Amino acid sequence: MQADLSVILPEIVLAIYVMVALIGAVYTSKDKLAPLLVWVTAALMAVLGIWIGTSGSGSTEAFGGMIVDDAFSRFAKVAILLSAAAVMVMGQDYMSKRGMLRFEYPLLVALSTIGMMVMVSAGDLMALYMGLELQSLALYVVASLRRDSAKSTEAGLKYFVLGALSSGLLLYGASLVYGFAGTTLFSGIIEVAQHGHVTIGLLFGIVFLISGLAFKVSAVPFHMWTPDVYEGAPTPVTAFFASAPKVAAMGLFARVMHDAFGHAVQDWSQIVALLALLSMFLGAVAAIGQTDIKRLMAYSSIAHMGYALIGLAAGTELGIQALLIYMSIYVAMNIGTFAFIMMLHRDGKPVTDIRALNQYAKREPGRALGMLVLLFSLAGVPPMLGFFGKFFVLRAAVEADMAWLAIAGVIASVIGAYYYLRIVFFMYFGSEGVEVETSRSPVLLAFFSAGAALMLIGVISTFGLEGAASAAAAMLVH
Amino acid sequence: MSLFLIAALPFLGALFPALLIRAGRNASASSAALASGLAFVGLMLHAPAILRGETVQVGIDWLPVLGLHANFFLDGLGFLFATMILGIGLLIILYARFYLSRQDPMGQFYTYLLLFQGAMVGIVLSDNILLLLVFWELTSLSSFLLIGYWKHLPEGRQGARMALTVTGMGGLAMIGGMLILGNIAGSYDISVILQHKDAIQSSDLYLPALILILIGAFTKSAQFPFHFWLPHAMAAPTPVSAYLHSATMVKAGLFLMARLWPVLAGTPEWFYIVTTTGLITMVIGAVIALFKDDLKALLAFSTVSHLGLITMLLGFGTKAAAIGAVFHIINHATFKAALFMTAGIVDHEAHTRDIKRLGGLRHLMPVTFVIATVAALSMAGIPPLNGFLSKEMMLEEASHTYWLQNPYVVPALACFAAAFSAAYSFRYIAHVFLGPKRDDYPAKPHDPGFGMWASPALLVTLVVLIGLFSAKMVGPLVDAAAGAVTQSHPHAHLKLWHGVTPALYMSGIAVGGGVLLLALHAGLERIWTALPRPEAKVIFDRLTGALTERSAAITARLHDGSLTRYALIMVTFTLVISLFAYGTGTIGAPTRDLQDVGLLPLVGWICLIVATACIVLFHRQRFIALILIGIIGLIVSLAFNFLSAPDLALTQISVEVVTIILMLLALNFLPKQTPAESPVPARMRDGAISILCGLGVGGLIYALMLRDFAVPSISEFHLANAYKGGGGTNVVNVILVDFRGFDTFGEIIVLGIAALVIFALTEAVLSTRVRAYLLNREPDMPQAGDSHPGLMVVVTRMMMPVALMVAAYIFFRGHNLPGGGFIAGLIAAIAVIMQYMASGFGWATERQRIPYHGIIGSGVLIAAATGLGAWFSGQPFLTSAFGYVHLPPLEEFELATAALFDLGVFLAVVGAVMLALESLSRFAWQPGIPTEHAMDINPARDTAAQDPKEA
Repeated sequence: MQADLSVILPEIVLAIYVMVALIGAVYTSKDKLAPLLVWVTAALMAVLGIWIGTSGSGSTEAFGGMIVDDAFSRFAKVAILLSAAAVMVMGQDYMSKRGMLRFEYPLLVALSTIGMMVMVSAGDLMALYMGLELQSLALYVVASLRRDSAKSTEAGLKYFVLGALSSGLLLYGASLVYGFAGTTLFSGIIEVAQHGHVTIGLLFGIVFLISGLAFKVSAVPFHMWTPDVYEGAPTPVTAFFASAPKVAAMGLFARVMHDAFGHAVQDWSQIVALLALLSMFLGAVAAIGQTDIKRLMAYSSIAHMGYALIGLAAGTELGIQALLIYMSIYVAMNIGTFAFIMMLHRDGKPVTDIRALNQYAKREPGRALGMLVLLFSLAGVPPMLGFFGKFFVLRAAVEADMAWLAIAGVIASVIGAYYYLRIVFFMYFGSEGVEVETSRSPVLLAFFSAGAALMLIGVISTFGLEGAASAAAAMLVH
Repeated sequence: MSLFLIAALPFLGALFPALLIRAGRNASASSAALASGLAFVGLMLHAPAILRGETVQVGIDWLPVLGLHANFFLDGLGFLFATMILGIGLLIILYARFYLSRQDPMGQFYTYLLLFQGAMVGIVLSDNILLLLVFWELTSLSSFLLIGYWKHLPEGRQGARMALTVTGMGGLAMIGGMLILGNIAGSYDISVILQHKDAIQSSDLYLPALILILIGAFTKSAQFPFHFWLPHAMAAPTPVSAYLHSATMVKAGLFLMARLWPVLAGTPEWFYIVTTTGLITMVIGAVIALFKDDLKALLAFSTVSHLGLITMLLGFGTKAAAIGAVFHIINHATFKAALFMTAGIVDHEAHTRDIKRLGGLRHLMPVTFVIATVAALSMAGIPPLNGFLSKEMMLEEASHTYWLQNPYVVPALACFAAAFSAAYSFRYIAHVFLGPKRDDYPAKPHDPGFGMWASPALLVTLVVLIGLFSAKMVGPLVDAAAGAVTQSHPHAHLKLWHGVTPALYMSGIAVGGGVLLLALHAGLERIWTALPRPEAKVIFDRLTGALTERSAAITARLHDGSLTRYALIMVTFTLVISLFAYGTGTIGAPTRDLQDVGLLPLVGWICLIVATACIVLFHRQRFIALILIGIIGLIVSLAFNFLSAPDLALTQISVEVVTIILMLLALNFLPKQTPAESPVPARMRDGAISILCGLGVGGLIYALMLRDFAVPSISEFHLANAYKGGGGTNVVNVILVDFRGFDTFGEIIVLGIAALVIFALTEAVLSTRVRAYLLNREPDMPQAGDSHPGLMVVVTRMMMPVALMVAAYIFFRGHNLPGGGFIAGLIAAIAVIMQYMASGFGWATERQRIPYHGIIGSGVLIAAATGLGAWFSGQPFLTSAFGYVHLPPLEEFELATAALFDLGVFLAVVGAVMLALESLSRFAWQPGIPTEHAMDINPARDTAAQDPKEA
């Protein structure tokens, strides 16, 4: 018991903190405490992230295998905790200026983070579901945080209804898997699910599980909630949606597929490849017509999930390594980009129309250059870091004899480049128009510059990222 | 000098011009020249070795996992290009110093220029295709900055955008090709890839790789159909045009084709794609160039045409053609850069580039005239200038090339293009410099200072020298470069006179044709302007515009905000992949037989189906739907009973009653009908998909039930251990309160919280204006005058003790026989609900003295206390214990801690249900109004009965 608890000590610490803070805030000053709570929560998450990243080693199982602590889960947890902390700190100023900073916000984010941590270390279908729902329920609320906006609440409601549907699919799949494998433990399922001996019931279980998980990573055609929620939610919340939950969902997806069905890769990789293909293309094509940068980022994230799924579809160790690297880079790019989006305003009101960026480079050459780097990186143009992420997954696909998928990915990235470059064009050569102001928030500026700088520095040194990702992938792939 | 240093010097140098601009324009330009110059010298130190046919290699690992190494190598081809890039770069730096005006930010210009130069040098020295890609896109990026350097010009903006879009996308496409190439060769190092010709050409992926790489090369080198961006990039300052768009960047695509020539060339695919593209580009570019009045546009299209020529030569796939290509690259760089610079000089001095407004400049600008004339004659292919030599080689190769077995297509078109080429070259001389002097120049033209014409003069000197002494001047260089392209040791026969060959005839025809075309220019131009011709830029704009609209339309259709549509797509996709799973998986033969279907189950089943179908039909009438749901619930509970699950049946039936009552309460505040939202076709479609999904799930379950479980069921375990371990014979109840007591504990807490949330929401809603709205609303139907019929009141009051007794009975027997705390709780709740229903909320609330919150709380606390009790006997939380007690007047009976836990469940359920009910009822209840006694007669009743309309 002691040993079991020590494995999930970070989760316990965070959970107790959230509960204490929640009760404390309810009984004291409520929203006045919110800015402090943001900083404390973010600091705690960052500390936990560093603690997990530096302390853990080897692979430990807890609660009879329901929770697994290994290099993979540690990698994902560090990414989740750090990005969640970063996004929270980034949005604090934005939200309090517009009167949206309620004390629930940091706590809900922390709660969903706990869910994510459970997700990526789940070793059992039930732990998986527990983590997933904890994360989702908190996210449903966060999505409709802007209670006075019809758009936000509508988006939240749609997200909730569709999320419930997908959870239903996932549960149905889980019960089928349990029925045909006789266990909910991944380590037990993998014994049964051997390629060539996968019964049809199990296969249906996999299909439904994938449907449910695809919703969480917002892979096409389970992505429909993404643009609405991204557009409707306040920008800091959008930034959060685009970062940690994506890592967690992708981590969970990879974990289930490899830990539980790693001996039957051929049975699911085509479906994942199809999801990847659809996501890449729809993300690229649909973003072209967008004028709202948040909606555009929604489609961009859908496309990026498609690329990450290529790594999963490859079904190899290199694929998982590529996926992890891709997700890490993706999160860093998104944090930088959203920091920029949060900076934009006109008369104190947030601006999200990309045409407002016309001639931006003339007024703010430094920031425009930073954004240019980030956008090129998002488009996957060498030598920015985004290219390496993309190249990693494409290479994984080619080496797994899925050259068609890699070629499709390249074509999709060519289409996708169009809309990223369009923003660059507006910034540098757009026609004169109404000007947009940029906030001078030092926090935002710091994250923005860090994000942009990382896209260039990361090319020279990835700070041990591939090593960690490689260790994590080796842990996962059987 | 190390290749690293050569590649790095321009980048390092890029730092200085911007910093030194404060020290003056000369300092800035000198620092730029110094960096380029040093790199150039460093390169020249390698010249002897390279010209001997050796290669120089250096490298370090960068990202070995990815196959990315910072490997550089220098061979003849790389040396040729690097010489051009650095050499012409130096001349451009000099030229730009005098070309740019005082208002232009010169430091920035040189910084961009050196960044670009570094990227170009990187491309040609890379020994790793990933590294090459990196530099490749860096050139796109820095050229974007250079092209858009004059941001105030709208054409500059358009040009920059198109250049970036086209070349950027091409570069991305190339990634795919490189990836495949590297995968086939097993390495991303070019020197390794070049060894794997057979493996690459026999691979299935050769064609996709070839196409992707060629897209990259064609976009960069402005080949048809991507040729349109180049002329529009001409809004850039002339030094940029001269450097990027004639000498260097546009040649990057040619470089790549030449670099990969050993492994890609020689196949029919290569021949037909590359040759045809080159040929078309050459012809189109030459024809358009003749009719351009803007000097730079003329030169731009001529560049397009010459790039097409080189592409075509590379496409031939023969060694001689490769030599010709290499040689023409050199020649074109010299004369075209010189021409661009003279165009810039004209523009700079006369303040116009419009040929129609120029003419007669030879008297005013004699130096420029000489330089331009020599360069243009070389471009036209007039002996003894260098352009003649390579054009001869091209025509010679073209004259014996068959295209689809046809010997005439290539030579004829080549000759045709050459004629136009000669024509526009002559026009450049005749219409700008010759002719009478005019008096309406926008500015008074005169020759510029030496600084500005030094660079083109030097280039023109080269043009002449290479023409006259070709073998001495560039022979070894061409040999080395062609050797690198063809991976052999060719010897180029560079000389002016090859005897009377077909090429010479063609050359003569071309020159003659050129003169003729120029003579007829005015007439031809009228025809040309009258002709409808596709303008590539317009097409590009329309195309992107249409595609944007298209994609917006697709997106609008997919994401129309309708939840139904979203759900539809999700469900349909799941259905499709399920069918796929069904198709790929194996399912054995059924191992179980269907049971006999008795009459009774059949009737029940039909009732179920009919009721379900009726719900679909009548779902808009909410009350009817509710009643139908009640019927379904009843049949399901009957089915549970029939299938020997009395616990489930009991639970189901009591839950059914409670939920129907709660829903009735909620419906009271809602309209009695729901509006019809969707049109009939949409409903039909949704219905069809629903039926398909239902059939799918039903079929799956049917199939599963006809087969044995894959693993033994866990029922056996519970049956065996229920009595032994839990002291009860009712397995269901033992599972609830003992085996999975922790679950139940969590569930009653959740139930309690849910009830509290309903309460809290009600409170929140009632404190707003909604309350007044609800109280004053106009009901859909006339209300019954008799809200509390006497009969019901009497019956429910009599039922109350009976029902509570039944609840107690069910509770106590639960451990061994069907029943238990949960069901008992529901029955007790029903007993109380009946009072609320019959006698009214006010009446019942007055008599209800224990708050429901308290009941929930006590239930949870009792359950928790039971669980904690286990700790006192050293057992884990919620371990149950039981024993048998014998009290004399009674028979021996069992006491189990589980019963106490069950009491907690009972209380929590009663409290939760009642709290929810109470909360919902309060919507319609007004505390201010004195409570009507349940047995009172409402005087309004009689009038209501007489005239319902008035009520």
